[in-house]
This record gives sequence, structure tokens and C-alpha cells, in this order.
Amino acid sequence: MTKRLAVVLGLLVAVVALAATAQAGLRAHKVTNITVAGWSSGPDEDALVQQMVNKFNATHSSVHASWTVINGDYGAAMTARFAARNAPDVFYVDSSVIGSWEKQGVIQPLNSFVKKSHYNTKAFYPKLLGAFKKGSTIYGFPKDWSPLATEVNNNLFGRAGIKSAPRTWAQLRSDAKTMVQKGVSKHPICLSADWARMGAFMYQNGGSLTKNLTSGANAAAVNFYVGLLKSGLAYTPPAGSWCGQELGQGHAAIIFEGNWLLPYMKSTYPNVHFGIRPMVKGKQNGNLAFTVSWSMAKSSSNKPAAWTLLSWLTGKQGEKLWMSKGLALSPRSDVKSIGGRGPFLAAAPFAHGWGFGNPNFASAYTVMGNDLNAVISGSKTTKQMLSDVSNALKGH
Amino acid sequence: MATAGATEAAPTRLRSSMFGARLGEAAWGYGFALVPFAVFGIFFIYPFIYAVYISFFHWGILGKQPGASGTYNYAKVLHDPVFHTALKNIAEYTVAVVPLEMALGLLLALLINGKIRGRNFFRAGFYFPSIASSVAITVIILYFFSPTGPFNTFFGFSTDWFGNASTVGWSIVGLNAWTTSGTVMIFYLAALQSISNDVYEAAALDGASAWRTFWKITFPLLRPAHFFCLVVFGIGALKLFDQSFIVSGGTGGPNYATTTPILYIYQQAFKTFDFGVASAAGVVFLGIILVLTVAQWFTIGRQEAS
Repeated sequence: MTKRLAVVLGLLVAVVALAATAQAGLRAHKVTNITVAGWSSGPDEDALVQQMVNKFNATHSSVHASWTVINGDYGAAMTARFAARNAPDVFYVDSSVIGSWEKQGVIQPLNSFVKKSHYNTKAFYPKLLGAFKKGSTIYGFPKDWSPLATEVNNNLFGRAGIKSAPRTWAQLRSDAKTMVQKGVSKHPICLSADWARMGAFMYQNGGSLTKNLTSGANAAAVNFYVGLLKSGLAYTPPAGSWCGQELGQGHAAIIFEGNWLLPYMKSTYPNVHFGIRPMVKGKQNGNLAFTVSWSMAKSSSNKPAAWTLLSWLTGKQGEKLWMSKGLALSPRSDVKSIGGRGPFLAAAPFAHGWGFGNPNFASAYTVMGNDLNAVISGSKTTKQMLSDVSNALKGH
Repeated sequence: MATAGATEAAPTRLRSSMFGARLGEAAWGYGFALVPFAVFGIFFIYPFIYAVYISFFHWGILGKQPGASGTYNYAKVLHDPVFHTALKNIAEYTVAVVPLEMALGLLLALLINGKIRGRNFFRAGFYFPSIASSVAITVIILYFFSPTGPFNTFFGFSTDWFGNASTVGWSIVGLNAWTTSGTVMIFYLAALQSISNDVYEAAALDGASAWRTFWKITFPLLRPAHFFCLVVFGIGALKLFDQSFIVSGGTGGPNYATTTPILYIYQQAFKTFDFGVASAAGVVFLGIILVLTVAQWFTIGRQEAS
């Protein structure tokens, strides 16, 4: 009887112990599910992010990330998600909107996570990280970036007998004149009516988009840019087109675009030979950095897990994988970009993050575009435009 | 007495059963109406009341924010030169596009109302732009009318019709007149088919020409359809957004030439994140549409109703 009781008790203890172990095991392997979202420039980018997320999931047993592409108007879609308090845990943020999203209180400051995990922020190019900082508070880590460069149609340059792409404003003007005179091109330069191109010329002339916007240096740069258009040496791309397309179609001989041009030309105009040189310079080097961060939602209920993912994606390992297809340039000095990107990378020390952390930038950009069109058509003066934009950037 | 009592009770029972039947019928009616009314209430009435409420506050993505309130947003909208430009643009657009849509729609309806070969094919063909995606159509048209596109190549022009501030408004008028004319055609076709053949026979007996028959019989008898199209497509034109957004990339450019009140509201909400100002602009614009509709009712609609 005693023996039988001992066996039963023993079995009972074994069952309880097994259950407890299983429970502990379950607790130890509790998986936190997080959501990741962004836009996609095409199937290549979509597949690459999915590949990165899969790799992260395979190497992190406690966090499971799910990637979703948001198609269409990313800003409007994210605004709706922020308002409904169901934003993805980790997501893309363009440097042009980081200021306004931060002001709206929807982006999580990351300093406490950086400090706790001893995350190395020094590997990032300071200007690029600066695009996602307000003071010393970090609101995102750049995943990639691109400045502008000078791209030229080799065939048209050869026909005009010009051996190399322009390096200065003076050469830009003289090369364009040569092409017109030799009948190679009617309007050799393609210039968008866009401050996202003209801004680089303002910095090249010693001006700035953050300080004293109405300065003489900025006004002179605007007049040079608009002057190229008014003289007929340059033209704006027609509605529905852009300068990359104009280069591909052989309409433009000189354009100023970023790294995004390369995969576009490879897929759309593989037979067009074009050269890439660093952006032209005026009184000094000047460029804009178009960059996108991985950021975290302030409303996220899984912040430690979100940080685990975010720090991995923007860490050395994640960035190496991200750079593997050459879709963008590395924001980290310790991760090499794919070959042939030298003319772009040369701008890293002096390129200014587009958006400048200004909370009114997204709405001011509307004023910039419309006013620049008005200046080009002659219905507004440069002075009026600079004053309008200055007020818009101040939120007036 | 008992017989008299029975005869008195019968109408009462009849009345009561009729009342019950009517009540039941009404309950069914209200029951069926309740569902669409609830949908209308949830998706239209409630958001409208909420938008009016928001319009009196400084309102961001996450809700009410400290700062200006009261009528500040209304003052901001009413003093904003961009909103004035948007109103001017939409007024010009509506005045141009609605008569054009109606004229084209009526012309198409007259064409396919006759006994022509392949009538169904033409009906479908004319109606197709109305049901096709406005985004897809706009993108194709942008290419078609680009400086090096088929239109300019054929006619020997080099104008950037949708990229030039002086031509973009008219280009959108033309685009929308074409895409909407199919829907207008359907309404006119229905109205044309409701006109009795007797009047046409009488006119033929009197020796009236086709031109005279159209102006003296068809056109006046289409007055209810004219009023309907004027109100419905007038309001539709005032709400222009898609084409302006696509053509300008959401900026309302070049030089604010494609800025419309709805695009202005979008910009205030999703670029500036000032939902208070966006709501105030929405309320102001609703007021304008309301005034125009009431004015139309008093000038043309009442005559039609009578």
C-alpha cells in the first residue's frame, strides 16, 4: 500500500515538475511580435527588406517581425495609423517629414535605448544622423541616403566635343552654350522647378536653407538657377516626366539627380551611356542629402523588441545586407556602398539633410514649388519667393 | 341588442386590424430605411458634426492641442491667399467644365438615341472613360499631351499642356469634360427616352425641321434633366481633387494653378497636420456649396418642381 502510494506520489511530482518546466520553457521562449512598415520603390526593395526581416527573425528567437509595404500616399496612410494609435512599431521616415512628425509627438526618442544598449552612433555620418535629431535627441537612424551628382549623356557630350562633365558653374554654362551652338541640343540642361535641386546651388553659393534665407547669396543662387532656365540653356521636365527620364530619352545632356537614377537607368534605358561626376560647385561645395530613417512609434507597446530590430537593421550587419543590391548608399562610414558610387559618397561630409528637422518643412515645400514656378514664369520676384518660403518655414 | 353590438364591433375590429397592418407596414418600412440611415449617420452625419467641432480647436494628429481656438481657424482660412486662389480656380473650372460636360453628354446621348448601327458599342465606348480609373486615365493623358507626346507631335506644337500655369486649368477642364460626359450621356439618354413619340410625330406633321424640333421640343422637355445635371455635376466639379493632385504631385502647382479647395483641405490635414484649419476650410466650403445649391433651387429648380 505504502509502495503504491509512493509510486502515485512520485508520478504526481513528476507531472507537476514537467508542467512547471514546460511553463518555464514557454516563458523563456515567449516571442514578441512586432510590425515593420515602409514604402517600396519597386519589387527589388520590397524583396530586400523582406530578406532582411527574415534574416532578423532567423537570428532572434524572442522577436518576430512582420514587414508590410504601404502603397500609395505613405504620409496620409501613416497619419491615419498614428491617429488610430495603431502605427507599426518600426517604420520608414523621410527626413523631410521627421520634424513635423516629431512635433506631433508620434515618434519615439531613441536616446535611452542607445544608452542602455551602448549602440555606436559614431559610425553614422554626422550630417545624416543630424537630419533625424532635434538638439541631442535622436528620432531615427538613417537606413540609407543619397546626395545629388552631375550626370551627363556621353553621346551628346561626345558629339559636342566636350571631354568631361562640368565641375563648376562657369563650366556648366559654357558646356551648355557649346552644345547649343553646335546644334547638339536645344536645351542641354534639365532642371526641375524644385527646391530639392536648387537648394544645392544655394549652399554652393555660400547660402543656407536654415539661416537667413533671404540672404544675397541665396538670391544670387536662385537667379543663377532661374537664369539658366530663362536663357534657354536649361528646361524643366514636362508634367509626368523627370530629369532621369529626360536623360534616358536623350532630351537632356546634363542633369542633377541622386543614386536612385542608377537602378532606373539600368532597368529603363540600359543602352544609354551616361557619366556620373560629383555635383558641380560654385564658391564652395554644396549638396543636399536625401535620407530615410528607421524610426519607432511612440505608441508602440513593444519598444524593447522594436529597438532590437531597429538597431539590427541600422547596425553593421543589417546595413551590409541592405547595401548588397546597390539600391542606396550606406549612411555608416564602416559599411561600404556598392562600387561606382564615389561621386555620390564624396558629398557625405558637406551634404545637408533635406528637411533640416524643420517642423514646418512639409507644408513649406508646397510654397517652395509653387513660388519657384512663379519666379520662373516671371509673376514673382526672387525676393518675394525667399520671403514667402522663409515665412512658411517659420510656420507663418 | 346583441346583433347591434356585433355590428358596431365589426368596424372597430376592422379599423384596429387595419391600424395594426399599417403599423406593421410602417415598421417594416422604417426598419429597411434604418440601415441606410445608420450608415449615412455613421459615415456622414457624425464625421460632419465632428469636423465642425474640430474646426474650433487647434487639432493635430493625436487630437486636441494647446493653442489657438474659437474662430481662429476660420479667420486663418478666410485670410489665406492660397484659399482665395483655390476658390477662384474652382469657380473658373466649374463655370467652364459643367456646360461643356452637359453639351458633350447631350450630344452623345442624341447620337446614340437614334437608330444607328453598333449603338450598344458606342454606348459602351462613350461611357468607358466614366468608369475607368481617373488616376490611370490622367497618367495616360499626361503622356498624350506631353511636349513630345502624340498630340503635340501630330499638331506640331511643343506646349507642356499640364505643366504650364496658363494651360493646366483648361487642360483639366478638357480632360474631365471628356471623362464625365459618358455619365451625363446616361442621364440625358434616360430623359430623351421618356419624351413621347407623339410630340415628334406632331412636329413632323407640321413640317418642323430636325434643328427646330430639337430647339423647340427636345431641349425644353429636357429641362428636368438639365437641372439635375447642373446640380449633380456642378457639385461634383466643385469637389475636384484627383486630377489636381496627380498633375501637381499634391502641391497644387505650377504656381497654385491646380490648387482647389479640396486639395487645400488635404494639404492642411496631411502636410501641415492642422486638422482644425482643414475642418474650418471644409465647413466654409460646404457653406459655399450650400448657398450655390439653394440659389440654383430658387432660380431653376422651383420652376421644375412646379
